[in-house]
Amino acid sequence: MRKLVWLFLLAAAAHAQNGFSATYDRDRQIKLEGPVTRIEWVNPRAFFFLNVGQENWAVEFGNPLDLEKEGWKLTALHIGDVVSVDAIPARGDAKQAFAKSVVLARTGKRLFTPGAAKKPAALHEPAPRWPDGQVRLGPAPGKKGYWGSPSTTVLMESGVKVAVNDEGLLKNLSDADKVAPMQPWARAIYLYRQRTLLKDDPFLRCLPPGGPRQFQTPHGFQFVEQRELGRILVMLGGGNRNWTVIYTDGRPVGQSGDAVLTYYGTSVGRWENKDTLVVEAVGFNEHFWFAIGGLPHTEALHLTERFTRPDLNTLKYDVTIDDPRTYTRPWSASWTVAWVPDEDIPEYFCEENAESTFSR
Amino acid sequence: MSAAIRTMIRTFFWFAGAALAVFAQQGHPLTGTWSGDAGSASGERTKVTIVLNWDGKNVSGVINPGPDAIPISSVYVDYSTWTVRIEAEDKSHQRIVAEGKLSDIGSYHRTIAGEFQRGSAKGDFKLTRD
Repeated sequence: MRKLVWLFLLAAAAHAQNGFSATYDRDRQIKLEGPVTRIEWVNPRAFFFLNVGQENWAVEFGNPLDLEKEGWKLTALHIGDVVSVDAIPARGDAKQAFAKSVVLARTGKRLFTPGAAKKPAALHEPAPRWPDGQVRLGPAPGKKGYWGSPSTTVLMESGVKVAVNDEGLLKNLSDADKVAPMQPWARAIYLYRQRTLLKDDPFLRCLPPGGPRQFQTPHGFQFVEQRELGRILVMLGGGNRNWTVIYTDGRPVGQSGDAVLTYYGTSVGRWENKDTLVVEAVGFNEHFWFAIGGLPHTEALHLTERFTRPDLNTLKYDVTIDDPRTYTRPWSASWTVAWVPDEDIPEYFCEENAESTFSR
Repeated sequence: MSAAIRTMIRTFFWFAGAALAVFAQQGHPLTGTWSGDAGSASGERTKVTIVLNWDGKNVSGVINPGPDAIPISSVYVDYSTWTVRIEAEDKSHQRIVAEGKLSDIGSYHRTIAGEFQRGSAKGDFKLTRD
């Protein structure tokens, strides 16, 4: 049984654009109790609002899509219900908290805990293939599914073991040199971003997660292989449901010198032995962070990505990062991504409740 | 940390509030166009534009791009303090040295402020990244 931890929050616009650690103070705990006055079951963050004495607190309690996957419905809580909440408060004076536990006062039932829905174990099946034997990166004909949780959300050089949380914040900043072979300026900006708790991450403002980050984000992604058109679409479930195109029509790698640089760059792919898709990607702009945690890049970024599917449920992603303006040498990272069978990517938009919750 | 809170934190990163900083340049913090003014505290201030670019080894650039442009001969950055030193020589062969501190590095409108010397004239400057 996974240990349950949920948070609650009191909304304040000043915190709306920050990451978790920049918004909430993990070193503090509070208890709140009172009647629920409003419920917002809206992506990306669900809130209920609670009258506590003369104050109205906003309590964040999860992502609706994740809550639904865990078997919870909006109807688990009603306006007027009295709840008791253990929570991590927001930094500063905001009447906002992140719920670690929510208990319904009249029944003592604990709400929004993980594991309410039992999931069947993944079947061990071979990867689906096209009639010519080439592996399919999407579902088999007549089936549904998409790629969901990555084995890590943090980008760092393969083989490196340093303590880092899921936001990409290092436990010890002295480990920065181990994360990637950064040039002095890159190390300095990385440390600045770490010290400021990643508050400037463009991702928090819904800008696209180009590069390897697109394969490490919540709500997954899907490959749509259009063989007749010589391209593969990578459909992203998070953010604002962006997509990337990988051209497989034999065109040369790269782009013209005067091409407009973009968040996802220009990607050209080829198959090796019908098992591995090798993608060369260039042409990235500098308007985004290509990894959680604040590793920088420049327009010189060149990615070599390898996608393999050893079985139905596993996608292996290997990436080599070559950006000589940022790093002292090319370096590599890899992770796996788990298949979510029999489901389509859920609908999700990253700014859905920005106004309603935080414009108070 | 439980799987639930890990998922929550990951999801949190998808949250976005109102539109503040738009597409800031997130690469080398000096790259870009900087504008502001320079002069003595009591005297007239002159509008200044500086364009800088990081090529992977050096920062190069130009002061006041256009017909009266002054090429920058060297840029030195102390990354431990974010102190920037810019050297150039104008058309009348007067040496220009400006030294300032880069502030608010994560912002689109980050700044460099400090002091300069052009020939025998001294003053201060402040530049904001456009």
